[in-house]
Amino acid sequence: MELDEISNLPGHVVDQILSQLSIREAVRTSVLSSKWRYKWATLPNLVFDNECYSFSSLDQTVVKSKLVNIVDHVLLLHNGPIYKFKLSHRDLQGISDIDRWILHLSRHSIQEFILEIWKGQRYKMPSCLFSCQHLIHLELFNCLLKPPSTFKGFKSLKSLDLQHVTLGQAVFENLISSCPLLERLTLMNFDGFTYLNIEAPNLQFFDIGGVFNDISFENAFQLAVVSIGLYDKRQSHANSSNLLKFFVHLPHIRRLEIQSYFLKYLSIGFVPGKLPNPCFNLNYLSVRINFNDVDEVLTALCILRSSPNLQELEVLARPEEQAAVGTVINIKEDNNWSCHQLRLVKILGISGIKPELNFINLLLSTSPGLEKMTVKPATNNGGWELLKDLLRFRRASVQAEIIYMDP
Amino acid sequence: MFWKALKKSLYHPNKVKSLNKGHLLFALSLPCFYWRCKVQFLINLHCPCQMSEGAMAVVKPEMKSYIWLQTADGSIQQVEEEVAMFCPMICREVIQTGTGSSKNYAISLPQRVNPAILGLILDYCRFHQVPGRSNKERKTFDEKFIRMDTKRLCELTSAADSLQLKPLVDLTSRALARIIEGKTPEEIRETFHLPDDLTEEEKLEPLRNITDDPRIRLLNRLYARKRKELKEREKLKNVEVEEERVDDRSVDDLLSFINGGDGVINRFVLLHEMHDLHSACHDGEGNNGLLASASTSSKLQDSAAVTFSPKLDFDDVDIDDDLDPAMKEELDREVEDFARRLNSVWPERMQELFQGRKLVPINLNGNSSMSRYTSTSRFLSQVSFILVWTRDNEPMLDKLFLKMVSSSSGLEKMLMQELAAVKS
Repeated sequence: MELDEISNLPGHVVDQILSQLSIREAVRTSVLSSKWRYKWATLPNLVFDNECYSFSSLDQTVVKSKLVNIVDHVLLLHNGPIYKFKLSHRDLQGISDIDRWILHLSRHSIQEFILEIWKGQRYKMPSCLFSCQHLIHLELFNCLLKPPSTFKGFKSLKSLDLQHVTLGQAVFENLISSCPLLERLTLMNFDGFTYLNIEAPNLQFFDIGGVFNDISFENAFQLAVVSIGLYDKRQSHANSSNLLKFFVHLPHIRRLEIQSYFLKYLSIGFVPGKLPNPCFNLNYLSVRINFNDVDEVLTALCILRSSPNLQELEVLARPEEQAAVGTVINIKEDNNWSCHQLRLVKILGISGIKPELNFINLLLSTSPGLEKMTVKPATNNGGWELLKDLLRFRRASVQAEIIYMDP
Repeated sequence: MFWKALKKSLYHPNKVKSLNKGHLLFALSLPCFYWRCKVQFLINLHCPCQMSEGAMAVVKPEMKSYIWLQTADGSIQQVEEEVAMFCPMICREVIQTGTGSSKNYAISLPQRVNPAILGLILDYCRFHQVPGRSNKERKTFDEKFIRMDTKRLCELTSAADSLQLKPLVDLTSRALARIIEGKTPEEIRETFHLPDDLTEEEKLEPLRNITDDPRIRLLNRLYARKRKELKEREKLKNVEVEEERVDDRSVDDLLSFINGGDGVINRFVLLHEMHDLHSACHDGEGNNGLLASASTSSKLQDSAAVTFSPKLDFDDVDIDDDLDPAMKEELDREVEDFARRLNSVWPERMQELFQGRKLVPINLNGNSSMSRYTSTSRFLSQVSFILVWTRDNEPMLDKLFLKMVSSSSGLEKMLMQELAAVKS
């Protein structure tokens, strides 16, 4: 007689097996045998995404009723704590049933909540979401947050990911400062607030892309990975130096990505030759720079000079602005400075103008440990000239490889 | 001083760094296996490769350390130390209780680990405990390793879990999930030898919308097929209907047509029966008959729901989706079966009709409402089967019905309804 082995596996192992199936397949195991009838009901992670049901008709009412039916069924039949709940179906719009589900989850000590509304306008999150005190990870896409006045923050929240969200300035600041354990923060394409004052003592990872006027950190001593993209090139006048203000609170930064127009923002105000406190831990830097803007080049150089342990550098040139022939930057050969640790350099999107060449020349002559430099121009025009210039540059490192890639 | 430092470092390996090579080497030469083992562990923590080789050279160059393991059935085997220590549970046993050093003090493994499975687990450990392997190599090994029959896979999962070997549990549970994925419940039951001990009701409720409910799917498919067939016949028929809009042939003409056509006795009997019952109903029909017929008609709807497919709500769209080929084949067979049964039931019905005429006397006076009720219901149930059969074979007959029962209001209404439903 063949023994039924799989039904006797311990509960957590069966949970592990079933959680690797889509929710649909997992629930289907309830018809296998009497032992399997409710094995799926203790699954800790419920994921409702495009795989859970494929709708043959695109009629919104049909889709809505079927999806609502499925989620209702599963939630009602589920037994036990729910750790993770993800709802992300491409046909899902913001429907009021979501409120009901969130209420149910808030009673079951939800720890990870992911909601992605693919279509339609911003979905207003119900107030019961803000009473989920066990939340560790919160991810929202296309939502509107307006917590009640009694909201005191998520005390266990470690990871927050808000994309295409709307929240007020005060709401944002309150949210960040009242989540003491916050370690990861991602903000993309937000609106409703423009001043970013990040006060999160445990923050380690910070990724932001949007339109804002000002950014500053407080107590960000753990912040190690930062990626900032400012999508708007309007300048706002600042009295003091944005660069200094930015770096003063980031002593332990390890990876920094300066994207879009953020370097322009940093170049406003006074730009010193070197930062007062060097970034000893910075070992990866990625900068999007407009070589035609003197200030931006100087800012980039300042950062480079202040990062003695930099190992990898990525420079993305922005060629759209016309070459300002007038200003020629004289980069002083500063013998005090050299990037000893710099091993890998990538330079992308250049067009062969003088400031770019000067910059590359400088890099080559101050990096004795350089192993590989990859150069990829934006277009093929002037590629030959660029190559000729590259060939001439003196290299401080005997092992340096310069790789020219076709655009 | 030295002993204190040694002890401290053994219990808090990360804190004390004052031990140097010499100290550790000396410690290794201790006769006590337990301590030697611990020190070896410590060495591996601090400096993985170099140190241990040198240290081993001091102790005994040719002898490898072995750990003794005992499975639930009593058999004992010895395993290379580094291989066995890859399992957290064995590692813990060695460090905390000091067993495993000799045959008499073998570590007893949990019950779920039998010798054959232990062999597999040790193969896994032997490969993965070597630190220098690339991710690709490990992945390739895993893929090959996991190829075994499901029974063994389940045993392996269970054993790995009891030894707390998490990477192996992850690997095996992924493999089991892949096996379950995409299979129908019957296939899964067969693969894992699960008993099919749920009742039909239990299988249906309460997950009707989520699971693949075979019964409802079967019915839906049946309806769909019948509907399709009807539509096809409709199309064929419409061609004829266009031409014969007004059919004012007399009843007699139709009768003779039917009788003279194939000469099938079925039709003749049918007509005869219809005629008799029609006259019976006609006499003293009144309200009672109407009520009775109304109630039976509703009953008939339920019981003959399968034949009459009219009012049930179903999506044409998702009839055939999500059915894997095996299931589809099975359902096809069932549908054929059902259709055949429908068709083959006619000869039996015919017998009944014959007998019916004798056994249930048509009460022309209309005294006994019971008998009328019975006869009406029987009539209707027979009509249903007749309709199905005739619809398939003789499109003309529905016109005939109309002619024949045109004078009886109650029955006519009912039959009109049925006919309309069948036609739609």
